Amino acid sequence: MPDPIHQFAIHKIVPLKLFGWDASFTNSALFMLIAVLLTALFFFFSLRSRSLVPTRLQSMAEIAVEFVQNMLRDTMGEDGMSFFPFVFSLFMFIFVANTLGLIPGGFTVTSHIVVTAALAILVFVTVLVVGFAKHGLRFLKLFVPPGVPIYVLPLVTAIEVISFLTRPVSHSVRLFANMLAGHITIKVFGGFVVMLLGAGIYSTLAPLPLLMAIAMTALEVLVAFLQAYVFTMLTCMYLSEALHPEH
Amino acid sequence: MPEYVNDGRSGDGRPGERDPRDRTSPDYSRDRPPGSDGSSGARTEEAFTARVADLGSRLSAAAGRRARDTAADRNETSGETDPDAATAARGMAYGMRMASELVAAVAVGGGIGVGLDRWLGTWPWLFLLFFLLGFAAGVLNVLRAYGRIAREIAAARRDGDGGVDASARQ
Repeated sequence: MPDPIHQFAIHKIVPLKLFGWDASFTNSALFMLIAVLLTALFFFFSLRSRSLVPTRLQSMAEIAVEFVQNMLRDTMGEDGMSFFPFVFSLFMFIFVANTLGLIPGGFTVTSHIVVTAALAILVFVTVLVVGFAKHGLRFLKLFVPPGVPIYVLPLVTAIEVISFLTRPVSHSVRLFANMLAGHITIKVFGGFVVMLLGAGIYSTLAPLPLLMAIAMTALEVLVAFLQAYVFTMLTCMYLSEALHPEH
Repeated sequence: MPEYVNDGRSGDGRPGERDPRDRTSPDYSRDRPPGSDGSSGARTEEAFTARVADLGSRLSAAAGRRARDTAADRNETSGETDPDAATAARGMAYGMRMASELVAAVAVGGGIGVGLDRWLGTWPWLFLLFFLLGFAAGVLNVLRAYGRIAREIAAARRDGDGGVDASARQ
Protein backbone atom coordinates (compact mmCIF):
# COMPACT_ATOMS: atom_id res chain seq x y z
CA MET A 1 0.00 0.00 0.00
CA PRO A 2 1.35 3.43 -0.86
CA ASP A 3 2.34 5.43 2.18
CA PRO A 4 -0.41 8.02 2.85
CA ILE A 5 2.02 10.20 4.79
CA HIS A 6 4.58 10.38 2.01
CA GLN A 7 2.83 13.37 0.42
CA PHE A 8 3.77 15.54 3.39
CA ALA A 9 7.50 14.83 3.22
CA ILE A 10 9.77 17.85 2.96
CA HIS A 11 12.58 17.76 0.41
CA LYS A 12 15.40 20.19 0.09
CA ILE A 13 15.55 21.77 -3.32
CA VAL A 14 18.36 24.24 -2.70
CA PRO A 15 20.37 23.32 0.42
CA LEU A 16 21.41 26.42 2.31
CA LYS A 17 23.10 27.06 5.64
CA LEU A 18 22.79 30.45 7.26
CA PHE A 19 24.71 31.13 10.49
CA GLY A 20 24.46 27.48 11.44
CA TRP A 21 20.72 27.34 10.74
CA ASP A 22 19.29 25.09 8.10
CA ALA A 23 17.57 27.60 5.82
CA SER A 24 17.24 25.37 2.77
CA PHE A 25 14.74 26.15 0.08
CA THR A 26 12.31 23.22 0.34
CA ASN A 27 9.28 22.03 -1.59
CA SER A 28 7.16 23.66 1.12
CA ALA A 29 8.88 26.99 0.54
CA LEU A 30 8.44 26.52 -3.19
CA PHE A 31 4.69 26.11 -2.84
CA MET A 32 4.46 29.08 -0.50
CA LEU A 33 6.26 31.10 -3.13
CA ILE A 34 3.91 29.79 -5.83
CA ALA A 35 0.90 30.72 -3.69
CA VAL A 36 2.18 34.25 -3.15
CA LEU A 37 3.14 34.71 -6.80
CA LEU A 38 -0.20 33.34 -8.02
CA THR A 39 -2.09 35.72 -5.76
CA ALA A 40 0.04 38.67 -6.81
CA LEU A 41 -0.24 37.86 -10.50
CA PHE A 42 -3.99 37.29 -10.22
CA PHE A 43 -4.54 40.70 -8.71
CA PHE A 44 -2.08 42.35 -11.06
CA PHE A 45 -3.86 41.07 -14.16
CA SER A 46 -7.41 41.26 -12.87
CA LEU A 47 -7.10 44.85 -11.68
CA ARG A 48 -5.05 46.16 -14.58
CA SER A 49 -7.99 47.51 -16.54
CA ARG A 50 -9.96 48.89 -13.57
CA SER A 51 -13.07 49.35 -15.66
CA LEU A 52 -16.39 50.42 -14.19
CA VAL A 53 -18.04 47.40 -15.77
CA PRO A 54 -15.74 44.65 -14.54
CA THR A 55 -14.42 41.83 -16.64
CA ARG A 56 -14.73 38.29 -15.34
CA LEU A 57 -11.28 38.35 -13.75
CA GLN A 58 -11.88 41.74 -12.22
CA SER A 59 -15.20 40.72 -10.71
CA MET A 60 -13.54 37.65 -9.22
CA ALA A 61 -11.01 39.92 -7.56
CA GLU A 62 -13.76 42.26 -6.42
CA ILE A 63 -15.77 39.39 -4.96
CA ALA A 64 -12.73 38.25 -2.97
CA VAL A 65 -12.05 41.75 -1.69
CA GLU A 66 -15.67 42.44 -0.78
CA PHE A 67 -15.96 39.08 0.93
CA VAL A 68 -13.15 39.88 3.34
CA GLN A 69 -14.33 43.48 3.64
CA ASN A 70 -17.77 42.35 4.79
CA MET A 71 -16.22 39.94 7.24
CA LEU A 72 -14.20 42.78 8.79
CA ARG A 73 -17.16 45.13 8.81
CA ASP A 74 -19.45 42.58 10.44
CA THR A 75 -17.04 41.85 13.28
CA MET A 76 -15.31 45.18 13.90
CA GLY A 77 -17.23 47.92 12.15
CA GLU A 78 -15.55 50.56 10.05
CA ASP A 79 -12.51 51.02 12.30
CA GLY A 80 -11.53 47.44 11.56
CA MET A 81 -10.69 48.43 8.01
CA SER A 82 -7.15 49.34 9.06
CA PHE A 83 -6.56 45.59 9.38
CA PHE A 84 -7.79 44.90 5.88
CA PRO A 85 -4.36 44.37 4.25
CA PHE A 86 -3.31 41.96 6.98
CA VAL A 87 -6.52 39.95 7.07
CA PHE A 88 -6.90 39.87 3.32
CA SER A 89 -3.32 38.65 2.83
CA LEU A 90 -3.93 35.90 5.39
CA PHE A 91 -7.14 34.81 3.69
CA MET A 92 -5.70 34.76 0.19
CA PHE A 93 -2.53 32.97 1.26
CA ILE A 94 -4.35 30.23 3.15
CA PHE A 95 -7.01 29.82 0.49
CA VAL A 96 -4.54 29.61 -2.39
CA ALA A 97 -2.21 27.32 -0.42
CA ASN A 98 -5.11 24.99 0.47
CA THR A 99 -6.30 24.90 -3.13
CA LEU A 100 -2.80 24.31 -4.51
CA GLY A 101 -2.56 21.25 -2.29
CA LEU A 102 -5.58 19.73 -4.04
CA ILE A 103 -3.82 19.69 -7.41
CA PRO A 104 -2.37 16.20 -7.96
CA GLY A 105 1.36 16.30 -7.28
CA GLY A 106 0.95 19.50 -5.33
CA PHE A 107 2.17 20.07 -1.81
CA THR A 108 -0.16 21.28 0.92
CA VAL A 109 1.72 23.97 2.80
CA THR A 110 -1.03 24.30 5.42
CA SER A 111 -0.86 20.60 6.34
CA HIS A 112 2.27 21.36 8.39
CA ILE A 113 1.67 22.71 11.86
CA VAL A 114 4.83 24.82 11.64
CA VAL A 115 3.20 26.94 8.97
CA THR A 116 -0.23 27.25 10.58
CA ALA A 117 1.31 27.88 14.00
CA ALA A 118 3.47 30.65 12.54
CA LEU A 119 0.34 32.28 11.09
CA ALA A 120 -1.62 31.84 14.33
CA ILE A 121 1.23 33.26 16.44
CA LEU A 122 1.43 36.20 14.05
CA VAL A 123 -2.25 36.88 14.73
CA PHE A 124 -1.80 36.36 18.47
CA VAL A 125 1.12 38.78 18.68
CA THR A 126 -0.77 41.31 16.57
CA VAL A 127 -3.71 41.11 18.98
CA LEU A 128 -1.40 41.66 21.96
CA VAL A 129 0.47 44.55 20.36
CA VAL A 130 -2.69 46.29 19.14
CA GLY A 131 -4.48 45.69 22.43
CA PHE A 132 -1.72 47.13 24.59
CA ALA A 133 -0.97 49.96 22.17
CA LYS A 134 -4.60 51.07 22.02
CA HIS A 135 -5.68 50.47 25.59
CA GLY A 136 -2.51 50.14 27.64
CA LEU A 137 -3.02 48.17 30.82
CA ARG A 138 -6.78 48.47 30.47
CA PHE A 139 -6.43 45.70 27.89
CA LEU A 140 -5.96 43.33 30.84
CA LYS A 141 -9.59 43.95 31.76
CA LEU A 142 -10.24 41.30 29.12
CA PHE A 143 -9.32 38.77 31.80
CA VAL A 144 -11.52 40.27 34.50
CA PRO A 145 -15.13 39.78 33.56
CA PRO A 146 -17.46 42.30 35.20
CA GLY A 147 -19.86 41.30 37.95
CA VAL A 148 -17.80 38.46 39.42
CA PRO A 149 -17.60 38.23 43.23
CA ILE A 150 -14.12 38.95 44.57
CA TYR A 151 -13.58 35.52 46.15
CA VAL A 152 -13.86 33.64 42.85
CA LEU A 153 -12.11 36.34 40.83
CA PRO A 154 -8.62 34.72 40.95
CA LEU A 155 -10.07 31.45 39.72
CA VAL A 156 -12.07 33.10 36.93
CA THR A 157 -9.10 35.20 35.88
CA ALA A 158 -6.86 32.13 35.71
CA ILE A 159 -9.44 30.36 33.55
CA GLU A 160 -9.77 33.41 31.30
CA VAL A 161 -6.00 33.64 30.89
CA ILE A 162 -5.75 29.97 29.95
CA SER A 163 -8.66 30.42 27.57
CA PHE A 164 -6.81 33.32 25.97
CA LEU A 165 -3.57 31.35 25.69
CA THR A 166 -5.50 28.52 24.05
CA ARG A 167 -6.33 30.64 21.03
CA PRO A 168 -3.16 30.26 18.98
CA VAL A 169 -3.21 26.52 19.68
CA SER A 170 -6.76 25.83 18.52
CA HIS A 171 -6.42 28.43 15.78
CA SER A 172 -3.45 26.65 14.22
CA VAL A 173 -4.41 23.05 15.02
CA ARG A 174 -7.81 23.38 13.37
CA LEU A 175 -6.44 24.42 9.98
CA PHE A 176 -3.55 21.97 10.09
CA ALA A 177 -5.66 19.00 11.26
CA ASN A 178 -8.37 19.59 8.67
CA MET A 179 -5.92 19.71 5.79
CA LEU A 180 -3.89 16.77 7.07
CA ALA A 181 -6.90 14.56 7.73
CA GLY A 182 -8.53 15.31 4.38
CA HIS A 183 -5.43 14.59 2.36
CA ILE A 184 -4.68 11.38 4.24
CA THR A 185 -8.27 10.17 3.71
CA ILE A 186 -8.08 10.76 -0.03
CA LYS A 187 -4.75 8.98 -0.17
CA VAL A 188 -6.02 5.99 1.82
CA PHE A 189 -9.01 5.52 -0.48
CA GLY A 190 -6.70 5.85 -3.47
CA GLY A 191 -4.52 3.16 -1.91
CA PHE A 192 -7.56 0.87 -1.56
CA VAL A 193 -8.19 1.16 -5.30
CA VAL A 194 -4.65 0.07 -6.09
CA MET A 195 -4.80 -2.82 -3.60
CA LEU A 196 -8.15 -4.08 -4.89
CA LEU A 197 -6.95 -3.98 -8.49
CA GLY A 198 -4.22 -6.45 -7.61
CA ALA A 199 -6.56 -8.81 -5.70
CA GLY A 200 -7.90 -11.08 -8.45
CA ILE A 201 -11.67 -11.48 -8.33
CA TYR A 202 -12.05 -8.64 -5.83
CA SER A 203 -10.79 -6.13 -8.38
CA THR A 204 -14.43 -5.70 -9.46
CA LEU A 205 -14.90 -3.82 -6.19
CA ALA A 206 -12.18 -1.30 -7.06
CA PRO A 207 -14.58 1.41 -8.37
CA LEU A 208 -16.18 1.74 -4.91
CA PRO A 209 -13.21 3.33 -3.13
CA LEU A 210 -12.53 5.30 -6.29
CA LEU A 211 -15.99 6.87 -6.02
CA MET A 212 -15.31 7.60 -2.38
CA ALA A 213 -11.99 9.24 -3.27
CA ILE A 214 -13.76 11.42 -5.83
CA ALA A 215 -16.41 12.42 -3.30
CA MET A 216 -13.71 13.20 -0.73
CA THR A 217 -11.90 15.37 -3.25
CA ALA A 218 -15.09 17.36 -3.83
CA LEU A 219 -15.49 17.73 -0.09
CA GLU A 220 -11.87 18.84 0.21
CA VAL A 221 -12.51 21.68 -2.24
CA LEU A 222 -15.18 22.92 0.16
CA VAL A 223 -12.95 22.36 3.17
CA ALA A 224 -10.11 24.29 1.53
CA PHE A 225 -12.35 27.33 1.29
CA LEU A 226 -14.17 26.79 4.57
CA GLN A 227 -10.98 26.49 6.60
CA ALA A 228 -9.48 29.59 5.04
CA TYR A 229 -12.74 31.32 5.90
CA VAL A 230 -12.81 30.03 9.47
CA PHE A 231 -9.19 31.03 10.06
CA THR A 232 -9.86 34.53 8.75
CA MET A 233 -13.13 34.84 10.65
CA LEU A 234 -11.43 33.93 13.94
CA THR A 235 -8.64 36.38 13.16
CA CYS A 236 -11.27 39.09 12.75
CA MET A 237 -12.90 38.16 16.05
CA TYR A 238 -9.61 38.17 17.95
CA LEU A 239 -8.63 41.50 16.43
CA SER A 240 -12.00 42.96 17.31
CA GLU A 241 -11.41 42.01 20.93
CA ALA A 242 -8.09 43.82 20.77
CA LEU A 243 -9.89 46.93 19.53
CA HIS A 244 -12.80 46.70 21.96
CA PRO A 245 -11.71 44.61 24.96
CA GLU A 246 -14.71 45.68 27.01
CA HIS A 247 -17.04 43.32 25.14
CA MET B 1 -17.89 28.71 -4.23
CA PRO B 2 -20.19 31.54 -5.28
CA GLU B 3 -22.59 29.93 -2.89
CA TYR B 4 -20.63 31.42 -0.04
CA VAL B 5 -19.52 34.57 -1.69
CA ASN B 6 -22.56 35.97 -3.45
CA ASP B 7 -24.77 36.25 -0.47
CA GLY B 8 -26.56 39.22 -1.91
CA ARG B 9 -24.90 41.70 0.37
CA SER B 10 -21.46 41.60 -1.09
CA GLY B 11 -22.19 44.71 -3.06
CA ASP B 12 -23.48 47.31 -0.73
CA GLY B 13 -22.82 46.01 2.75
CA ARG B 14 -26.46 46.37 3.74
CA PRO B 15 -27.48 42.92 4.85
CA GLY B 16 -30.66 41.41 3.64
CA GLU B 17 -31.67 44.12 1.25
CA ARG B 18 -34.02 42.51 -1.20
CA ASP B 19 -35.61 45.21 -3.25
CA PRO B 20 -38.89 43.84 -4.53
CA ARG B 21 -39.13 46.47 -7.24
CA ASP B 22 -39.90 45.86 -10.85
CA ARG B 23 -38.18 43.13 -12.72
CA THR B 24 -39.13 44.50 -16.11
CA SER B 25 -36.41 45.61 -18.43
CA PRO B 26 -35.15 49.08 -17.61
CA ASP B 27 -36.39 51.99 -19.62
CA TYR B 28 -33.36 53.01 -21.60
CA SER B 29 -34.93 56.19 -22.87
CA ARG B 30 -34.21 57.59 -19.43
CA ASP B 31 -30.52 57.25 -20.09
CA ARG B 32 -30.55 60.48 -22.01
CA PRO B 33 -30.16 63.48 -19.77
CA PRO B 34 -33.29 65.54 -19.49
CA GLY B 35 -32.87 68.59 -21.62
CA SER B 36 -30.82 66.90 -24.29
CA ASP B 37 -33.92 66.05 -26.28
CA GLY B 38 -35.02 68.95 -28.39
CA SER B 39 -35.38 71.84 -26.03
CA SER B 40 -32.15 73.70 -25.65
CA GLY B 41 -32.88 74.27 -21.98
CA ALA B 42 -29.75 74.58 -19.93
CA ARG B 43 -29.06 71.81 -17.43
CA THR B 44 -30.33 73.46 -14.36
CA GLU B 45 -29.47 72.43 -10.88
CA GLU B 46 -32.91 70.84 -10.40
CA ALA B 47 -32.62 68.80 -13.54
CA PHE B 48 -29.26 67.54 -12.41
CA THR B 49 -30.39 66.57 -8.93
CA ALA B 50 -33.49 64.95 -10.39
CA ARG B 51 -31.30 62.92 -12.70
CA VAL B 52 -29.00 61.90 -9.88
CA ALA B 53 -31.96 60.84 -7.76
CA ASP B 54 -33.37 58.89 -10.69
CA LEU B 55 -30.01 57.18 -11.23
CA GLY B 56 -29.82 56.36 -7.55
CA SER B 57 -33.25 54.75 -7.47
CA ARG B 58 -32.49 52.75 -10.60
CA LEU B 59 -29.17 51.63 -9.16
CA SER B 60 -30.77 50.36 -5.98
CA ALA B 61 -33.48 48.65 -8.02
CA ALA B 62 -30.77 46.95 -10.05
CA ALA B 63 -28.91 45.99 -6.89
CA GLY B 64 -32.09 44.44 -5.50
CA ARG B 65 -32.65 42.59 -8.73
CA ARG B 66 -29.11 41.32 -8.72
CA ALA B 67 -29.40 40.18 -5.11
CA ARG B 68 -32.56 38.28 -5.95
CA ASP B 69 -30.99 36.76 -9.03
CA THR B 70 -27.91 35.58 -7.20
CA ALA B 71 -30.10 34.20 -4.44
CA ALA B 72 -32.12 32.29 -7.02
CA ASP B 73 -28.88 31.18 -8.67
CA ARG B 74 -27.57 29.94 -5.42
CA ASN B 75 -30.68 27.97 -4.66
CA GLU B 76 -30.53 26.36 -8.08
CA THR B 77 -26.86 25.52 -7.93
CA SER B 78 -27.00 24.22 -4.39
CA GLY B 79 -29.85 22.02 -5.55
CA GLU B 80 -27.78 20.70 -8.42
CA THR B 81 -24.48 20.15 -6.68
CA ASP B 82 -24.38 17.76 -3.80
CA PRO B 83 -26.02 19.54 -0.85
CA ASP B 84 -24.98 16.69 1.42
CA ALA B 85 -21.32 17.43 0.79
CA ALA B 86 -21.80 21.08 1.69
CA THR B 87 -23.72 20.20 4.84
CA ALA B 88 -21.17 17.58 5.74
CA ALA B 89 -18.29 20.00 5.28
CA ARG B 90 -20.01 22.60 7.41
CA GLY B 91 -20.89 20.06 10.08
CA MET B 92 -17.30 18.83 10.10
CA ALA B 93 -16.13 22.41 10.51
CA TYR B 94 -18.47 22.92 13.49
CA GLY B 95 -17.45 19.64 15.07
CA MET B 96 -13.74 20.19 14.58
CA ARG B 97 -14.10 23.67 16.00
CA MET B 98 -15.72 22.45 19.21
CA ALA B 99 -13.35 19.51 19.63
CA SER B 100 -10.23 21.57 19.02
CA GLU B 101 -11.36 24.30 21.43
CA LEU B 102 -11.78 21.80 24.26
CA VAL B 103 -8.69 19.72 23.56
CA ALA B 104 -6.45 22.73 23.02
CA ALA B 105 -7.51 24.31 26.32
CA VAL B 106 -6.87 21.11 28.29
CA ALA B 107 -3.49 20.71 26.57
CA VAL B 108 -2.48 24.30 27.24
CA GLY B 109 -3.59 24.07 30.88
CA GLY B 110 -1.72 20.81 31.39
CA GLY B 111 1.34 22.22 29.63
CA ILE B 112 1.43 25.28 31.87
CA GLY B 113 1.07 23.02 34.91
CA VAL B 114 3.93 20.74 33.87
CA GLY B 115 6.12 23.74 33.08
CA LEU B 116 5.49 25.35 36.47
CA ASP B 117 6.03 22.02 38.25
CA ARG B 118 9.39 21.54 36.54
CA TRP B 119 10.40 25.07 37.45
CA LEU B 120 9.23 24.97 41.07
CA GLY B 121 9.73 21.24 41.68
CA THR B 122 6.19 20.69 42.94
CA TRP B 123 5.20 17.78 40.69
CA PRO B 124 2.35 16.85 40.36
CA TRP B 125 0.29 19.43 42.22
CA LEU B 126 0.37 22.39 39.88
CA PHE B 127 -0.14 20.05 36.93
CA LEU B 128 -3.33 18.75 38.52
CA LEU B 129 -4.55 22.27 39.29
CA PHE B 130 -3.84 23.68 35.85
CA PHE B 131 -5.18 20.59 34.13
CA LEU B 132 -8.53 21.23 35.82
CA LEU B 133 -8.34 24.95 35.08
CA GLY B 134 -7.59 24.09 31.46
CA PHE B 135 -10.64 21.88 31.36
CA ALA B 136 -12.75 24.72 32.73
CA ALA B 137 -11.27 27.08 30.13
CA GLY B 138 -12.08 24.53 27.43
CA VAL B 139 -15.69 24.29 28.52
CA LEU B 140 -15.83 28.09 28.56
CA ASN B 141 -14.43 28.23 25.02
CA VAL B 142 -16.91 25.66 23.77
CA LEU B 143 -19.82 27.50 25.39
CA ARG B 144 -18.68 30.77 23.83
CA ALA B 145 -18.21 29.21 20.42
CA TYR B 146 -21.58 27.52 20.69
CA GLY B 147 -23.27 30.75 21.73
CA ARG B 148 -21.86 32.48 18.69
CA ILE B 149 -22.96 29.71 16.36
CA ALA B 150 -26.44 29.64 17.89
CA ARG B 151 -26.73 33.40 17.45
CA GLU B 152 -25.66 33.12 13.84
CA ILE B 153 -28.10 30.32 13.12
CA ALA B 154 -30.90 32.37 14.72
CA ALA B 155 -29.89 35.39 12.62
CA ALA B 156 -29.82 33.21 9.54
CA ARG B 157 -33.34 31.95 10.27
CA ARG B 158 -34.54 35.53 10.64
CA ASP B 159 -33.04 36.46 7.31
CA GLY B 160 -34.83 33.60 5.65
CA ASP B 161 -32.82 31.83 2.99
CA GLY B 162 -29.99 34.30 3.15
CA GLY B 163 -28.42 32.34 5.93
CA VAL B 164 -26.28 29.87 4.04
CA ASP B 165 -23.29 32.08 4.52
CA ALA B 166 -24.04 33.07 8.10
CA SER B 167 -24.59 29.52 9.27
CA ALA B 168 -21.31 28.51 7.68
CA ARG B 169 -19.38 30.58 10.15
CA GLN B 170 -17.37 28.01 12.03
